[in-house]
Amino acid sequence: MNKDFSVVGKSLVREDGLEKITGRAMFADDYKFDGMLHSAMLRIPATHAAINSIDFSAVINNPSVKAIITSQDVPASKKIGIIKNDQPVFCDEKVVTPGDVLAMILGEDENELRELVKSIKVDYTALPTLTNPAKALEETALLIHPEFGTNLICHHPLHKGDVEKGFADSDEILEQVYTTQTIEHAYIEPEAVIALPIDNGGVKIIGSIQNPFSARRIVCNVLNLPPEKVHVVQAQLGGSFGGKDDNMCMLSSRATVAALKAKCPVKIRYTREESILESYKRHPYILKYKVGFSKSGKIKAMKIDLLADGGAYCSMSPFVTWRSVVQATGPYAIENVHTDVRAVYTNNPYTGAMRGFGSPQPIFAQESIMDEIAVRVGITPDEIRRRNGLKLGSVTSTGQTLRDHDVNLIPVLDKACAFTNFASKWNEYKNKQEELNGYIFDQPIFKDEQFIQPEKLIKKGIGLAVSFRGCSLGAEGLDQSSCFVSIQPDGKIVMLSGLAENGQGLRMTLIMSAAEVLGVSSEKITFLESDTSKMDDSGPTVASRGTLMGAAAAKNACDLLLEKLENVVRVEFKVDDSDFISFRENLVLSRKKGAITKFDDVVKLASQKGIDLSVIGRYKSPDVSWDEHSGQGDAYFTYVYGCQVAEVSVNTGTGEVYLNKITAVHDPGTVINRLGAIGQVYGGVTQGSGYGILEEVTSEDGMIRELNFDQYLIPTAKDIDEIKPLFLEGEEKYGAWGAKSLGEPTLELGAAAIANAVCNALGKRFYNLPLNLEEVLLGRKLRPQDLKRGSL
Amino acid sequence: MEIKFTLNGKEAVVVCEPSLRFIDLLREKLSLTGTKEGCGVGECGACTVIMNGVAVNSCLVLASQVVGSEVLTIEGIANGEELHLLQKNFLQAGAVQCGFCTPGMVLSSYALLQENSNPSEEEIKDAIAGNLCRCTGYKQILDAVKQTAKELNPSAKL
Amino acid sequence: MIDLKCEVLTPNSLAEALQYLANNNEYTKILAGGTDVIVGKTQGSKRFIDSNVLVDINRISEIRGIEENDCSISIGAATTLGEICNNKIVGEKLPLLKKAASMVGSQQIRNRATIAGNFVNNAPCADTVPALLVYDTSIEIKSHNSERIISLQEFLKGPYQTQLQKEELVTRIIISQKEQNYFGEFYKLGRRRAVAISRLTLAVLIALKEKQILDIKIASGAVTPIGTRFPKLEEFAKGKIMTDVLCKNIAKKMGEEVLGVTGLRWSSAYKLPVVQQMFYQLLKGIER
Repeated sequence: MNKDFSVVGKSLVREDGLEKITGRAMFADDYKFDGMLHSAMLRIPATHAAINSIDFSAVINNPSVKAIITSQDVPASKKIGIIKNDQPVFCDEKVVTPGDVLAMILGEDENELRELVKSIKVDYTALPTLTNPAKALEETALLIHPEFGTNLICHHPLHKGDVEKGFADSDEILEQVYTTQTIEHAYIEPEAVIALPIDNGGVKIIGSIQNPFSARRIVCNVLNLPPEKVHVVQAQLGGSFGGKDDNMCMLSSRATVAALKAKCPVKIRYTREESILESYKRHPYILKYKVGFSKSGKIKAMKIDLLADGGAYCSMSPFVTWRSVVQATGPYAIENVHTDVRAVYTNNPYTGAMRGFGSPQPIFAQESIMDEIAVRVGITPDEIRRRNGLKLGSVTSTGQTLRDHDVNLIPVLDKACAFTNFASKWNEYKNKQEELNGYIFDQPIFKDEQFIQPEKLIKKGIGLAVSFRGCSLGAEGLDQSSCFVSIQPDGKIVMLSGLAENGQGLRMTLIMSAAEVLGVSSEKITFLESDTSKMDDSGPTVASRGTLMGAAAAKNACDLLLEKLENVVRVEFKVDDSDFISFRENLVLSRKKGAITKFDDVVKLASQKGIDLSVIGRYKSPDVSWDEHSGQGDAYFTYVYGCQVAEVSVNTGTGEVYLNKITAVHDPGTVINRLGAIGQVYGGVTQGSGYGILEEVTSEDGMIRELNFDQYLIPTAKDIDEIKPLFLEGEEKYGAWGAKSLGEPTLELGAAAIANAVCNALGKRFYNLPLNLEEVLLGRKLRPQDLKRGSL
Repeated sequence: MEIKFTLNGKEAVVVCEPSLRFIDLLREKLSLTGTKEGCGVGECGACTVIMNGVAVNSCLVLASQVVGSEVLTIEGIANGEELHLLQKNFLQAGAVQCGFCTPGMVLSSYALLQENSNPSEEEIKDAIAGNLCRCTGYKQILDAVKQTAKELNPSAKL
Repeated sequence: MIDLKCEVLTPNSLAEALQYLANNNEYTKILAGGTDVIVGKTQGSKRFIDSNVLVDINRISEIRGIEENDCSISIGAATTLGEICNNKIVGEKLPLLKKAASMVGSQQIRNRATIAGNFVNNAPCADTVPALLVYDTSIEIKSHNSERIISLQEFLKGPYQTQLQKEELVTRIIISQKEQNYFGEFYKLGRRRAVAISRLTLAVLIALKEKQILDIKIASGAVTPIGTRFPKLEEFAKGKIMTDVLCKNIAKKMGEEVLGVTGLRWSSAYKLPVVQQMFYQLLKGIER
């Protein structure tokens, strides 16, 4: 492969940087329109309730209230969902989780509306609640959506080999149960959307929307409008991480229904409290692992049972849990595997897509149990992974043979271990482990031996985690993208992609890809405003597929343009077919003649000759396969590999975990924008660390305790001392120059690596995320009995 | 009430309720939307502005409290089209991703460098600990501030 | 857009402020840094929701600033925590206060939040309270027709309750200069390494002669319903020789006292061991 790049692999400043650094960038809430109305949502303080009636008399004649919007105003589909239509736009019969909205009022003064909405009287009957997912499938369990006849959202089985035989062949068997917590995306920009009626009876939507095409599809269903009458413009997006999808489809639906009824622009914007209350979260899992292994640490069989709490609505649960079933064993070649993954409905806040998407949970479990097995058989954690890890030609648990790319699991592991001096540190800290004193709370006052000598207070630990990750959508669905590239007569270039800029820097990656092919500087290329009416649907910007699918389409578009320009050069400058033409540094060169002309001049010539220099490039992913019943197939067309090593200090007196250094080695294929790639690693590692030690959305009978950033704690600038990103750019057949995925792999490993490091420090294993103060010290979580804010 | 103050070097006069939050005065009355609201309770720092030389959360300041003060917002950091050194370094270092925390982050860093042009890494972290960022993991932001300090002060510690 | 819908009075002098408070009713609140009042109002907190008149004391120069004389250090009630952190006198003479103030919230919060504001609500987790308590802080309280100085400990009545009368304003914090050579430490534990509500705060001030404890002052926050001193514990330790055994005994006695005040609560399984362990660590740090 040609790795002699002129643009690809460089560190370039993102194209939208100037707007953002000056504060001029327009985020959804920054838009204002004449005659625009604000809104306030009507909710009730109930987790599960039948709505008997709503009495609007307190607001109906109030001049400040311009309209009341209820389910009756929804012209077509009253329920929506990305996969399953189970979430009412406005609840009129019952609420099934506290974020549910019954109605919405419109007016000019948002402040006043938020007061007025409290005066609307709702007569409702509280119903029993189901908040424990482990009870959701019991015969007697109440049904969240009785029309489905079950609380089961989906079940993905996987059978490979014969697990019972595998266990029989094993020298030892280890069984453990792990749990992971609900977490919040915590994008810093809360949700906002504006709907504007347009003259043709349609509607324009401007919003903090991760997937404009999903929003369009759902709004079309809600309004019964054809796609050409609904166009969705993505405002600058203030963070999403998978979290501005379903909820933005919902807010877009409500805003458009309201705007069409009120015949004026309508804005919905959420406070942080509303955002955390109503938006979906990361699925909490209960993970049961049974692993059989030989004396040498060879894994013989793995039986896995995963239960995901989908909360009140289906959302992306079937896809999230499908990724779990493919990756549940971790990146290990295991002959005998039996996995069941289920997602269930409860009255808890609903859960859906979040960066990582069904991988951080099983990675925590499987990487914990691998470490535990390593200790059992007396080898180091890196060694057990070398003995079982996937290599070129290995067969995954879905029966897929890995080929056509560098299967770099062991190389990333080796690189991380060499860089951190892993094994020797791990052994050193292991030898210093001592029984933790004094935190079995049998008697409140210490015995003398429970006091820790100050020099022993802080214990160091090192831990690692590895993963493989299927790139893009896999067998979830059709996987294609397109990119429009047009060279203007003056040599400037404009681009459009059906994939979205969510803050991750996708546009710059696509610009750099185009600049590489066309041999021009990236300053010549501008991205046009993303609007569903201007571009084809390229599928959602999810699954770390932006670079893989987007850059490939951009490259294909530019290859088409290059062919056209090359023809012009050959004719106009009489370059014969035996000579080789290349485009570099805004010049056109031939092998024999050297520099022939400038890029701009070829473009001018082509324009004069009437050659069309606007093209749409497409990329469709190679075929994948999946059998629903056996869980076998080529689940994804390629994979990426990562290894993260966490070095921690644990305060054995308080349970604090200090993150001293996290080394992140990833094979994302070819790196396009190095600056952006490093930023993805820093950000992903930081989110993963928050998942590991800090973050948790807890609830009491469905009511969330942590509704703002005073209670829901994400890492600050002070919480991680050092992060070291390292890349190992493997060869890959597909995508643009083999550029694959990075966004999610960076997040999925941190919690597992940290948990292993804390165990290395203390000699005590942890089975429940996050490793917060109480978990580390007591091995369990403590919860206040009420929802009160405060510390005692 | 008439609120008179100096905003980005120029006199500003706004008529509004005294108990309007300052962030709303900026965003809604003056359409200076570079100042962002992320939490409304002083935890995220997206609404940071510099008031009388120090960084404050504009969601926790009332309009009446601004009378007579000198305020700098993100719109006043660049000199016309010429970016401030700190802004240039934010871009060069890759310190901007989604950009929502960026204005507040720039202002907290700016306030620090005004007071201490030679900060230690710990001092930089302390100065921006009240600005939450979910995208960058902060490292490139620290790099940008360090680089700026270095350029402002050739004998810098970092 | 949020308008707190309050009248905001902005007195320029203390006399004017006290006059406003004299004409005050139960719906009047004093506004200083706003980090409690404005948050409380926007979130609809019960303690603030009915207040419709705010008396903003930020422009009163008489109650800002830090002064030192032979016998005491006096800090204006409306001095911000940021000013306290940067102040040389505080840095030299009141290092525990400096440390406590520097651990409150974020830089932005410290630039607004005031020293009196940190304790006038008497929240259990107010970070500066244990530090102020071990410095035997007194506070000056004025109204239009009265003036009194009381100890901070006395001022803090119960959770979210103080001695402050509705027409009164805390005007200064007064800390006497000690003859003896005290030194000490402040400790804060939060869930995060910055901008965290404290789970536990401890302050110790000690005067030692060789290894003998001539005097000791101990206070904690966030483990008891309000920040508090431990007089029985102090009496127990006074005169004794600092040894490892003594450190353990003091720490255990603190555990007993905390347990005595709070009983077993949901957080006791964590907080009781930690308060003993970290208080021991603090004493060991001082011992060395």
